[in-house]
Amino acid sequence: MPSLKELPVGMRLATALTSRREALRLLAAGIAAGLAGCSKPNEEIVPYVRVPEGLVPGDPLKFATTLPLSGYGRGVIVTAIDGRPIKVEGNPRHPASLGATDVFSEADVLSLYDPDRSRTVLKDGDIASWDQFLRALQSQRRRWTERQGEGLRLLTGRVTSPTLARQIDDLRKQFPKALWHSYASIDDEASQVGASLAYGRPLDSVPRLDRADIILTLDADPIGHGPDQIRNARGFASHRAPQAAFSRLYAVEAAPTLTGAKADHRLALHPSLMTEAALAVANALGAGLRDAAVPQEAARFLKQAADDLSAHHGAALVLGGRSLPPAAQALVHWINARLSAPVDLIEPVARNGRSLADLVSDCAAGAVDALVIVGANPAYDAPVDLDVTKNFARVPFRLHVGLYADETSGLANWHIPQAHPLEAWSDLRAIDGTASIVQPLIRPLYGARTDHEVLSTLSGGADAKPYDLVRETWNATGKPEAGADFETWWKRALHDGIVADSAAKPVAGLAPQLPPIGPSPQAGADGAIAIVLRPDPCLWDGSFGNNAWLQECPKPLTKQVWGNALALGADDAKRLTLTTGDVVTVSSGTRRIDVPVSVEPGLPKGVAHLSLGLGRRKAGAIGNGIGANAYALRTAAAPWVIADATLKPAGRREDILTTQNVVRTPDDVRELYPLKELSRLKGGQSASPAPVLPSLLPQRPRPDDGYAWAMVIDASVCIGCNACVVACQSENNVPVVGPEEVALGRDMHWLRIDVYDHGTPAAPQPGFQPVPCMQCEHAPCEPVCPVAASVHDGEGLNVQVYNRCIGTRFCEANCPYKVRRFNFRGYSDGEEYANLGLESYRAQKNPEVTVRARGVMEKCTYCVQRISAARRTAEREDRSIGPDEVRTACQNACPTRAISFGDLHQPASAINALKRDPRHYALLEHLGTRPRTTYLADVRNPAPGFDEDRA
Amino acid sequence: MAVLEHVSPPPHRWIAAERASDVEVTQAVADPIFAPVGRAWWIAFAATIPFVLWLVVTIVWIFYRGIGIWGVNSTVVWGFAIANYVWWIGIGNAGTLISAMLLLTRQRWRASINRFAEAMTLFAVAIAGIMPIIHLGRPLYFYWLAPYPNTMTLWPQWRSALVWDFWSILSYLLFSILFWYISLVPDLATMRDRAVTRGGQVLYGMFALGWQGSARQWRRLETVHTTMAALGVPLVCSVHSIVGLDFAASLMPGWAESIFPPYFVVGAMYSGFGMVVLLAVAFRWGLRLEAIITRNHFEVMGKVLLMASIVMGYSYASEWFMAWYGGRHVDRDLTAFLFTGSYAPLYWGQLFCNVLAPQALWFRAVRRSLPALVVISILINVGMGLERILIVWNTLSHAYMPSLWHVFKMTFWDWSILIAPLGLFAFMFLLFVRLVPSIAMYDVRRLTHEEHAS
Amino acid sequence: MTAPLLAEFADPDSLRVALDRVGHDGHRAIEAFTPYPIEGLDVPLGIGPSRIRLAMLVGGLAVAAFAFALQYYSAVFAYPINSGGRPLNSWPVFLLVPFEVGIFSAALAGILAFLWSCRLPRLHDPLFAIPGFERATQDRFFLLATADNNDDATLALRHLLEEAGALVVTEVRQP
Repeated sequence: MPSLKELPVGMRLATALTSRREALRLLAAGIAAGLAGCSKPNEEIVPYVRVPEGLVPGDPLKFATTLPLSGYGRGVIVTAIDGRPIKVEGNPRHPASLGATDVFSEADVLSLYDPDRSRTVLKDGDIASWDQFLRALQSQRRRWTERQGEGLRLLTGRVTSPTLARQIDDLRKQFPKALWHSYASIDDEASQVGASLAYGRPLDSVPRLDRADIILTLDADPIGHGPDQIRNARGFASHRAPQAAFSRLYAVEAAPTLTGAKADHRLALHPSLMTEAALAVANALGAGLRDAAVPQEAARFLKQAADDLSAHHGAALVLGGRSLPPAAQALVHWINARLSAPVDLIEPVARNGRSLADLVSDCAAGAVDALVIVGANPAYDAPVDLDVTKNFARVPFRLHVGLYADETSGLANWHIPQAHPLEAWSDLRAIDGTASIVQPLIRPLYGARTDHEVLSTLSGGADAKPYDLVRETWNATGKPEAGADFETWWKRALHDGIVADSAAKPVAGLAPQLPPIGPSPQAGADGAIAIVLRPDPCLWDGSFGNNAWLQECPKPLTKQVWGNALALGADDAKRLTLTTGDVVTVSSGTRRIDVPVSVEPGLPKGVAHLSLGLGRRKAGAIGNGIGANAYALRTAAAPWVIADATLKPAGRREDILTTQNVVRTPDDVRELYPLKELSRLKGGQSASPAPVLPSLLPQRPRPDDGYAWAMVIDASVCIGCNACVVACQSENNVPVVGPEEVALGRDMHWLRIDVYDHGTPAAPQPGFQPVPCMQCEHAPCEPVCPVAASVHDGEGLNVQVYNRCIGTRFCEANCPYKVRRFNFRGYSDGEEYANLGLESYRAQKNPEVTVRARGVMEKCTYCVQRISAARRTAEREDRSIGPDEVRTACQNACPTRAISFGDLHQPASAINALKRDPRHYALLEHLGTRPRTTYLADVRNPAPGFDEDRA
Repeated sequence: MAVLEHVSPPPHRWIAAERASDVEVTQAVADPIFAPVGRAWWIAFAATIPFVLWLVVTIVWIFYRGIGIWGVNSTVVWGFAIANYVWWIGIGNAGTLISAMLLLTRQRWRASINRFAEAMTLFAVAIAGIMPIIHLGRPLYFYWLAPYPNTMTLWPQWRSALVWDFWSILSYLLFSILFWYISLVPDLATMRDRAVTRGGQVLYGMFALGWQGSARQWRRLETVHTTMAALGVPLVCSVHSIVGLDFAASLMPGWAESIFPPYFVVGAMYSGFGMVVLLAVAFRWGLRLEAIITRNHFEVMGKVLLMASIVMGYSYASEWFMAWYGGRHVDRDLTAFLFTGSYAPLYWGQLFCNVLAPQALWFRAVRRSLPALVVISILINVGMGLERILIVWNTLSHAYMPSLWHVFKMTFWDWSILIAPLGLFAFMFLLFVRLVPSIAMYDVRRLTHEEHAS
Repeated sequence: MTAPLLAEFADPDSLRVALDRVGHDGHRAIEAFTPYPIEGLDVPLGIGPSRIRLAMLVGGLAVAAFAFALQYYSAVFAYPINSGGRPLNSWPVFLLVPFEVGIFSAALAGILAFLWSCRLPRLHDPLFAIPGFERATQDRFFLLATADNNDDATLALRHLLEEAGALVVTEVRQP
């Protein structure tokens, strides 16, 4: 049963407001909800592959649904066993998923079971009941009706849900004077304004990287984390096939990104010069605007890029990041139009209300007397200069609806627990406008309510079911194909996980005009550091702050976990006499935070980088007080760049926790991560078969009965996004160890992504190499095990027998690849980190995979449970497993399809072809371990005779 | 008050007394055992108790909380349990090696030191035997290394060096006990016949097996004893070679080296001899045996140490050479890491203790000065300790995958398992000297007769 | 039948002299007891070579062979697994365990053979009853001899021993 410490933070029991009996009743209710939680929702939901009538206990059922990231939907297929969602995977039909996932959707299933989620209605932090809330609301609604909703304000996040939009409209019809504000901390306001500058109205851009031969990004990170990552990454990868079309990527950026990591040419440029860069390219394409004030080296780079772009008219694309000022955004639009670039302009997908700034000023003016905050957390992520905390306090009636009793609920006098997307009925639009239904896989664990229920309650709809609300919306707007009735249409929409042809149509026939360009920027005050703020690659905007998988997910380029650090260039670090680990006080105006410094390559002079999303105060047992809160530096005027920051040593040090190192020792980089140039690759003959090294032992022939599993990983399309890492964690019950253990050099990830840097500190050129177990045919780990816990099976798997293992750790000591992980403590066996041992998390565990005990070695098994599942099916149907029938968790997650897995004995299987690729190589081949997991070398496509950044 | 008044310069090479009759020798060795316990012994004994308790607490805590309490991590998965194991086995090797080799090579002077050298072996190997067990993640299943009929119908994996270890330690421990006991029987008979109390007579009488010292018994004893000695030498060498194979049979840089087995054996003898010197000094002083353990004994032991230190230096040098000559950058990087990496100070310390400091033994004066020998012996044992842990740390910290290069961070419990066993060792020795004649009396009797004859 | 005589000497040399003369005069030396091994007593006492070494060889080889057989059986028949692609019968490494246990069991066999050939353990013996015999393990040298069964001979033997320098000569009577 939940104990007090599991109840929302800052709650006191039994107060004047809540009688003791009632509090206990609620507690009981909470428990009941928790227990009854693992059960299907009341309404009929449609399984993806089979009907629930045929539900066999223990058999997985798969349902299509949609998960939001900053309001945009990504279609997923969720596996539920006995009514418990345990694994999220991509939905091939959904344009924002294409069958793949990102870290956030993979990790959402853990958040679902987070015991720190808000569990009851709160009144000023005390347990209250829904009825009490309704009573309180009655009086409010009376006043609203009298005054037509004057003084009533609704604050939401980014709204793409048609149902929610409809309800907001209804509400405002009912209360004409009520106002709706929306705020997303990771917004794209600048690009909206930019579009308005160019086209006279806001438009969304949907780039088509799969059709782009030349790509130039201006502080944009299309393949970095975000709602559009998967689609962009897939597009990018599909156009990077050495045999077929191969694009060239120019990246201009103020701080390292995944896009910059994969770029063929990268230019580190001060953020204040981004507009100039756009200007330079525009001029090169004949815009005829004033000369761009860029340093000479940058000018060369941009000239080269511009030439390349114009040489590939129709297949050249320029992308501007969300941090670009509107003018630059408009220039990008103009350039793309000029190049007739493969980018679709569509009507904005998200509905925007008034700005948060307006709301705050109205609050300050006392014009607001009822504020309803739905699914936003401004108290944490709003620009500090708005001083939300002070101004919201002036509003007499403050209602907060959220997943957690978080920073904002602390400001509210009423808090209502919000349903998690996996337990809610709703609908969402993807970034290209495609709509899809959100269907619950489980009844709300903590009696939480969906936004729709709350809104309909506000507008007087007596406890309407979200199911009906969503159906209403689509009954009105959904367009059944001829002859089909709504029910069939609805079932199909649920089954497919998308609403057929709901994608926004590109707006055609637009001619952009050039924006007015201001004077060239003058150099900022000397010694001042410009801090680039970016959403965190693992925690995004902070809403995932209490997710242990994401907290312990190594950041792609620095491998940092459990915190963030101020990335600083070597020169600046030297100038300020700072070294990695020194804590500095960053101050800008009156705002200041303390954060440890980490010296990183690839930053322009005078520029530092800090990621948003950490430093939560009330995230929960996992996220509280982890990292530094970059929002505390952010202003409404300059959300992405703190131009005038000064750093002062705080006189103490803090460990930067990392699970591994970025490899920069040249010999190792050359040997372990060969980097090929496309031009040199042409006419490459197929790879010679791995040389059989001389041995005194008789060479064991590969057992040719049955299957021979193998994996090939294409390093040239791996973008290091970590989706595979978290997917593996969620599929295989891989525990989280927590910061203290990481500090000792321990972690449990079965699959890690090594980063090899071929560049220089000034111009890094990192490459990503996912490293699962190599499943060596001559595995060094096996002969050294005294109890035969590490053995080879007939299909080439190097299997670990957990209950035979006695923990000598000789296998890991003798593993050249260091892919085995040891349970030094009972990480999932009674000594879990923080609250990870609590009952609710157990529901997420994959019943097909053993939960390992303390003192036992564990490792990647090629998802052997999936192989055996496939084997059972095949045997039932009296056939053998198909060539590419088994798909591992990491393979499924990969947005770029970098990971291939299959049976070597079946010529039809994809890996056989890949193993013949000229780029094919095995790690540490000379050791004679004969790995089954092998790699395709990374390929870059630098412009001929232009290598400025490989000094 | 010693029975044998020692005079210097010693009139005989191996006996520093004018006339040492059989009865005097016997009294000198046996009587301290019957005499009431002295203050020095009590103080020493009391001093060891806390260490023994500390060790017990440490082991209990390891079993209770798991080995996570050590500094071992995902990359450096081995730590002090392994290093201690190698170190203690090394100490253990010297005892049997010394007494067996010297017996075979007819080194008469061994008579004065072989008994406690063999005892040292027993205690050291016993302590070494603890380490592989507490090293395990699931120690309660250590017996799965043994082949026994079980319901899982599973067998040990005989290709693993750890299984070889299991058998070699077991064989070696039992062998050493037999070898030690068999040469103890005649002296136990002496104790039986000198015992004044009934209890003493019965106790020693039982262990003396009714020994009479008949010519037949002497003859047979010599036969079995020398044969065991002949078997003991290869056994000792094989035991530490197998310990060397724990590393050499891997494919990690810095471990997979064919020189490891011999170099481990010499290292073992090296640290073992160092320990013997320390114990000899202690005994000589504590039991007033100046007449039986002479400076000449120390001088020859000093020579052995000097030789060993040169061999060690050669072994290190050959490691560096091979790393360079082999041409793999991994090996070269590792060698560079030895001298400049995270553990560099320790490595330099190891070279100083094991190679540089013992060169002082070139000088006769140093070999004959007990303080100097004590200092050098301590340095040698520290140096060998460093060598053992660095073999584990350096390779694991700096192997093929630079992405996972990690350093070992020592915890309190690492220190515990490093230091506490020394207390247990001393504890067992103190009990030993109170119960068993710590010098082979019959051998010394023969030695004195030969000395006087010569 | 007359009881054998036990003569106590102060030093090994007089023991040797006595031993020679006992043999020379046609008496029979049964056994000598000394505090440490003394060369050259076995011939006059007629102590032949023992088979202890043979026992050790046999014991050692037998156990070593068993150990190898055990490994071979378990690795090839009982539990054949692919371990790092090594052959099931990895005989080179299977030689290590037999070597270790072989040497130990040779030693064990040797000890057992020793005890058996010396009829040990034997905690009680009439000799122990003789006063002063306890010094046999410390500093005295004893000779046990017997004459043909008539009293003169015994008397002669007693004289002989005393002349050879025996400090005490006692009759050993079977209890």
